[in-house]
Amino acid sequence: MRPVYALGAGAHPWGKWPDKPQVQLAVEAMGAALGDAGIGWPQVEGLVAASSRFEGGMGWGLHANEVVQTVAEQGIPCINVGGACAAGAIALQTAYSLIASGQYDVVAALGAERMPKGFIPRPPGSKDDRTDNDYLRWVAMGATNPAYWAIEARRRQHDHGTSAATLANASVLMRQNASGNRYARYRDPLTADDIAASPMVADPLHLLQICPVSDGAAAVILGSEDFVQKSGKAAVRVAGCAIGSGQFGDPARRIPTIASTVREGVSHTSEVVGAVRRAFEMAGIGPEDVDLLEMADNSAWHILAWPELFGFYEAGKGDWMLDNGHLAIGGKLAVNPSGGFLSFGEATTAQALLQVAEVLWQLRGQAEGHQVQNAKVGMTAVLGLGANGGSIILSR
Amino acid sequence: MTGAELSFVVDGLVEEGADGTHLLGSRCNGCNTLYFPQMASCPNPACQTKVLRPETLPREGTLYSYTIQRYQPPALFRMRNWKPYVLGLVDMGEGVRVMGMLAGVEEDELEIGMSLQVVTEPLFDDPERGAVATYKFAPVGVG
Repeated sequence: MRPVYALGAGAHPWGKWPDKPQVQLAVEAMGAALGDAGIGWPQVEGLVAASSRFEGGMGWGLHANEVVQTVAEQGIPCINVGGACAAGAIALQTAYSLIASGQYDVVAALGAERMPKGFIPRPPGSKDDRTDNDYLRWVAMGATNPAYWAIEARRRQHDHGTSAATLANASVLMRQNASGNRYARYRDPLTADDIAASPMVADPLHLLQICPVSDGAAAVILGSEDFVQKSGKAAVRVAGCAIGSGQFGDPARRIPTIASTVREGVSHTSEVVGAVRRAFEMAGIGPEDVDLLEMADNSAWHILAWPELFGFYEAGKGDWMLDNGHLAIGGKLAVNPSGGFLSFGEATTAQALLQVAEVLWQLRGQAEGHQVQNAKVGMTAVLGLGANGGSIILSR
Repeated sequence: MTGAELSFVVDGLVEEGADGTHLLGSRCNGCNTLYFPQMASCPNPACQTKVLRPETLPREGTLYSYTIQRYQPPALFRMRNWKPYVLGLVDMGEGVRVMGMLAGVEEDELEIGMSLQVVTEPLFDDPERGAVATYKFAPVGVG
């Protein structure tokens, strides 16, 4: 395996962009990433797309092909991967492998998404019977995604005494971080009172404690050590890069299932925890070495629970860490200095690539308005439907 | 309530016994793991047999966690006189945790660890099928 480096990253700001087709968002993010890397399309030897479920792709998820046909027809391999909200991490893992294997020297990973309004609809093609979880959860009980997160949050309140005030602080922190990030969609600061005043969606989670959906695009360009040396470009090492799926017996309330058989000793959210552990192993480091964590905060609960699951500190300590400023920019572990999903809104397939872009810019000292001082090691963690997990570590 | 005259939201989720409604799941002949709902195969990676048989779950369980669904879910979900309702996660024993609506319990009575039992309740009315039911969890002695 050869070392792999992040050469550059680009993003289209998150928001609602009714006048820009998804392929346009993708092309702009790729253009920004190429500019950031200081290279052009002719140097790109392969493109991996985290395929959108909602738009384009010629009905077959051929998003990478659409991009090159739009902007640079040059015969390169186009790989299109699925993985729902973790697809960006799977795309990056694929690009990583193409370089680590020695087959290519410069490969880009891309995700672009325009989200439908409101609740994400059930996908077509499944039967209306008990074999389809995504049918069951709607017809038998109307379980929305926030209800799954709320059930986790309520149980945390029972187990660890998490207060409504602490849950509110998670959203306050994300907005505070986002206020300086031009890529974030929601940048106005929030107070705990604002959060308490927002409608209750699924107790104990208010509207401002649940990630909305947005349109956005992000791209990351990876390169080999040979390329870095020959080109003389500054680059940041991809120290760990791992994806995984779930473990039998995982106690997480996994969307869209309506039940699970839980086994003692199995990690909660095992698809992500497994990827995080493998990324740590690859990098030869542990949680104590990480300066910032960009993680999927689909709700305020995630901010509290996920770092515990990854071994950053023991279960239940997240409340104290958050309430005492240790998860803020400048704290012991900066969690989502970007502002996270709560401030971006989720543009599903693009989200994991935005996380990697954020870490790259942080490690270069280029996270204007939300910089973690002297950040040397950054980690990402993301979860996708179908029990997909991904985690990437960059290190300088 | 017997539920015998009702059609169910989805076939194969429950079985009506002499003592009331039971969730209908699967048990693996190989590794003895109990599942709900019925499974196509046994996902235990250590299990080599993977032959399942239908099996009903115990009627009673304990509330593991819950929330209140305050917004009306998308149209696939139908409910008479929609109003916010409690969604619970109920521990049915042998590690099996099942989500479902709760019945016969007020918000201020909700308590993690409380005993609940499976019941059948009408959920909505369909012009062709008539009253359509789902399973719910109710405090023991209710429903």
